[in-house]
Amino acid sequence: MAITLKELLDNGAERLSLELVWGEGRLDRPIEEKAINRPGLALTGFFQYFAQRRLQVFGLAEFTYLKSLSTEDRAVRLREMFEKNVPAVIISRNRNPLPELRALAEEYGTPLFRTAMITSHFVNECTLLLEELTAPHDRIQGTMLEIMGIGVLLQGQAGIGKSETALSLIGRGYSLVADDVTEMVRTGGRVMAFAHELTRYHMEIRGVGIVHVPSLFGVSAIRRDAMLDMVVNLHPYKNDADEERTGLEPTEIEILGVKFPYFSLPVSSGRDMANIVEAVALNYKLKLLGHDAAKELDEKLIGNFLRKAAK
Amino acid sequence: MAEEKVILCEIEVLNKYGIHARPAALLVKTAGKFACDIFIGKKGEEVSAKSIMGLLTIEGYQGAKLRVRIVGRDAEEALAEITELFEKKFFEE
Repeated sequence: MAITLKELLDNGAERLSLELVWGEGRLDRPIEEKAINRPGLALTGFFQYFAQRRLQVFGLAEFTYLKSLSTEDRAVRLREMFEKNVPAVIISRNRNPLPELRALAEEYGTPLFRTAMITSHFVNECTLLLEELTAPHDRIQGTMLEIMGIGVLLQGQAGIGKSETALSLIGRGYSLVADDVTEMVRTGGRVMAFAHELTRYHMEIRGVGIVHVPSLFGVSAIRRDAMLDMVVNLHPYKNDADEERTGLEPTEIEILGVKFPYFSLPVSSGRDMANIVEAVALNYKLKLLGHDAAKELDEKLIGNFLRKAAK
Repeated sequence: MAEEKVILCEIEVLNKYGIHARPAALLVKTAGKFACDIFIGKKGEEVSAKSIMGLLTIEGYQGAKLRVRIVGRDAEEALAEITELFEKKFFEE
């Protein structure tokens, strides 16, 4: 989904030191391609390939080149660019727009911005911001924790004990990211989890009410965000039928198009869920370090049995 | 009250890799469906068929002959399903 110039300005005013020079009424225009173009080549008159759906950034190179042109040539080339109906023109290093640039912007209804940043920094920051603003995101039911560097999303039906398990894990020194509802955003091939701004660092415990986690447990008990590594589901204990017993055949769950290992743990009286969730996370960490205990034991058993069978 | 049945028999491991983790898990899942107690092992060293870690210690390599003892009223049904697992080589081959 394309974002509008207004969204860019709202989110980038500070971060990109972006200000609007002209075009208040035209900020609803979409940025169709979330990338940045430096129109230097186009200004030489080459329009066979021109990224006209992108933001056009005029830096030192463009300005110096424009100044080297005669007034007539400059007007012709700039007009040609505006005719392509570019979403907006941005001038870096807080330069004053050339009078003809401003006049053409008004004539074609193309918003004109200015930034204090130098061009290369602006291009980097602005690309990042556009990526962030357009990244796939979702709000997911579940409590997000960080256990020894492993991001764990705890899911399960209401009343199964997600918050209680989380509380217990916080007591063991791990950190809460979000209670019960977690915001997810995909950045590259990973998914970052964080809490909604309004409820951040709070959690609700049945029978107690809403508590402020850092006030009770200190700032080390919270994290603003964490990368998601795995999903742990708590479900009511039924019988043995569907449980994972060996750890050899992992299941996966897809969140925002990225696959994550999925563990469904049966809850029954006498099972300390915090302890088990901790073990799942640590076992996963061990796996990441190249040590798959279930697989190694299985290989050892098979090797042993093959030798014995051959005798 | 239903009569407690006791079944004693011998069963041979047919699959190439023996009772490693995956077959052990299958056995446990199957055994877990029944109320009866199921024991598998060698003479004097039997373990519950409802314990994965137990089953891994019985050294069920290919060709090994294991003793099965089942106690409970649904013993026959349990034996039928367990025999099937062994005969079908735990669906491994």
